[in-house]
Amino acid sequence: MTQQINARVVVDQKAGGISTKGLSAGSVGLVGAVIIGISCIAPAYTLTGALGPTVAEVGLQLPAIFVAGFIPMLLVALGYRELNKAMPDSGTSFTWATRAFGPWIGWMAGWGLIAATVVVLSNLAGIAVDFFYLMLSQIFGNSAEIAGLAGNPFINVGTCLVFILIATWISYRDMQTTQKVQYWLVGFQLIVLVGFGIMAFVHIANGSAFDPTPVSLSWFNPFAVTSFSAFAAGLSLSIFIFWGWDVTLTMSEETKGSRSTPGRAATLTVIIVMVLYLFVAIAAVSFAGVGGVGVGLGNPEIQGNVFFALAGPALGPFAVLMSIAVLSSSAASLQSTFVSPARTLLAMGHYGALPPAYAKVSPRFFTPGYATIASAVVAAGFYTIMRFVSEDVLWDTITTLGMMICFYYALTAFACVWYFRLQWFATVRNAFFTFVFPLIGGIILTVLFCTTLVDSMDPNYGSGSEIFGLGLVFVLGMAILLIGVVIMIVQSQVRPAFFRGETLSLAAPRYGEE
Amino acid sequence: MRFLVGYTATPAGADALALGVRLARAPGAELDIVLVLNGGERATLTPTDPGYDRLLLETAEGWLAEALTLVPAGMSVHTHLEHADSFTQGLLHAAARLHSNLIVVGAATHGLLGRFAIGSVASGLLHSSPVPVALAPEGTRVMGTDETIGRVTCAVGTKPGADGLLAAGIRLARRMDAQLRLVSLVAIDHPGADEHTVALAADHAQAVLDFATENLMDGLEVTASVASGSSIEQAVRGLHWDPTEVALVGSSRLAQPHRLFLGSIAAKMLRELPVPLIVVPRDFALTVEE
Repeated sequence: MTQQINARVVVDQKAGGISTKGLSAGSVGLVGAVIIGISCIAPAYTLTGALGPTVAEVGLQLPAIFVAGFIPMLLVALGYRELNKAMPDSGTSFTWATRAFGPWIGWMAGWGLIAATVVVLSNLAGIAVDFFYLMLSQIFGNSAEIAGLAGNPFINVGTCLVFILIATWISYRDMQTTQKVQYWLVGFQLIVLVGFGIMAFVHIANGSAFDPTPVSLSWFNPFAVTSFSAFAAGLSLSIFIFWGWDVTLTMSEETKGSRSTPGRAATLTVIIVMVLYLFVAIAAVSFAGVGGVGVGLGNPEIQGNVFFALAGPALGPFAVLMSIAVLSSSAASLQSTFVSPARTLLAMGHYGALPPAYAKVSPRFFTPGYATIASAVVAAGFYTIMRFVSEDVLWDTITTLGMMICFYYALTAFACVWYFRLQWFATVRNAFFTFVFPLIGGIILTVLFCTTLVDSMDPNYGSGSEIFGLGLVFVLGMAILLIGVVIMIVQSQVRPAFFRGETLSLAAPRYGEE
Repeated sequence: MRFLVGYTATPAGADALALGVRLARAPGAELDIVLVLNGGERATLTPTDPGYDRLLLETAEGWLAEALTLVPAGMSVHTHLEHADSFTQGLLHAAARLHSNLIVVGAATHGLLGRFAIGSVASGLLHSSPVPVALAPEGTRVMGTDETIGRVTCAVGTKPGADGLLAAGIRLARRMDAQLRLVSLVAIDHPGADEHTVALAADHAQAVLDFATENLMDGLEVTASVASGSSIEQAVRGLHWDPTEVALVGSSRLAQPHRLFLGSIAAKMLRELPVPLIVVPRDFALTVEE
């Protein structure tokens, strides 16, 4: 009897209209897709976090590096899209690398993704804390005391933990704002950033800028960067500023309207973001210069969070708007970022690469509940330790993040190349999208990863924090990867099925095969 | 009759399912188990992920399969996955499509503010459902699914015009082959409530009893009583409740004038009721026809 019932269930569900209403079929229009894309990139947050460290590496060639950084991102994202089309799975990089290279490399790719997102979660929350107190001080008449609270490590960590807790709560319950609110959030962010740029140029014209620096064509010349190390470091940072853009490409199935919508959404998103980045970057450099004092972008004191220092001088009484923009940007980004590690952890639990608890889906909110909480706990712990270990926690986390992104993106790109190896030359399109593009992207990222790793051994690298005479960024990167290796070995003893390839097998489909 | 269970793989969902199965033990009844997932129409700032959606779908199918194992063999049962912006909306859509006669949900939510016995789902349904809604109290699942409904208690109130509710009670009692009990709940400390009111209530209950007796088929037992107390809660507590019975209440019939807030009365009753509560909308008569 039970079997009969089950058989009927299947029939019922087919007739119940899953395919038409729920999932893949048209839900996000062109504007919606662009909004999600921009919201994931979170330009206000990204710029405040990445401008300083990038200037520290490449100086005036900031605009050139921003443009150059997009190239490897694009190349890898194209491969990402191919994989997503062939194997849609919530484990993304983890699943794909496992299918292409087997369980060990797959595990590390998943680990890299989780580490990168956990690091960015802590950085996001850290930036939010700074701006939270800045906003309070702006509201209560520019009291330096309140803004200074963010500098007290105990208050800072406490506030940060509260923010992470709230973000976890929201993610766990899958609370979403309405579409209107989202348009406002993103629109407000863009308006404030453009306003910042315009005000900066107004100050320059009036002669009231901090360190007026005339715009020059050489800013757009990537070859004017002094050394390859600096170039590589700048590139890995600027990959971070486009991180999140790839989602517009993979939303392909969900966008409604014509088949060209996803492509148009991705293009439109990147044009908007690129124009915005260049405009704000040029404005910021022209306004404040790259000098090492005051609000000069070369000043290590402000590099971890430049808008925190620049908002007042550039925007005057409207500086509070910048605080709100960065805060809302961070909040939206926290929400979309939380999903990533949680879904990958869930997939790893699902395939037996981690304890099964990680595979639990909350029956009330339909979110990966256990994995979400686990990511939050790790992000909170990471931030707490970093706040006490590092001289400039935001700067060092961003640099580490760039390295981690290079690591798992490179593995993903190579996974694409290798997975499709039997169909590279089936069509001209395949040759480019499954072979040439991801291969070049993967190689660029590997070079960036290795260069950053080697350079960061220097104790003066990044913010200049060091442990045992080695740069903190190097120690962090290695520690994160080694911890991953250790956990992987433990898991391989406890849960050997995955590591024997029993749950996710190697594959290399021919053209036209599934 | 078609009973729709709004199911989640939670204790509250198990409560709803247990009650649904017991109701569906009536001859000729059908059971629909509906699980509502978030629809893609909803605005999100998080990019949707086809991989995750697929996994969620598989998980949900697993939950439904588990739910089926709790349904006794031989019962006519279907499971459905519904996609909607909210649980409430999904259930209402499904109820309309399946021509359900009754929606069953679990009433208990013990969240952070857990003293409220009615969750947002139940509350949303109670304010918008065109068909009766049954709220299974926390712990219904413990009783199991073997017992049928032994008695239907209709809280008819003292106001005239409870005929619709009464008709629902009669119909349900017939269907379930259960006893029918008619109860007038009177809260003494409400303004205007005194001995006279209690007497009126008793008269009313008698009148209702007469009406019901005339309209009942042979073989069904019907009783009537007046329950009074300093509050609705106390009046409810004062009654004897059989473990196998269900209580029927009209949406807004019980309340005093200017106290028509359905949720509060239903919540009051529910907090005290050891048995499931079925709330019948005013214009239910259209939907109770098979």
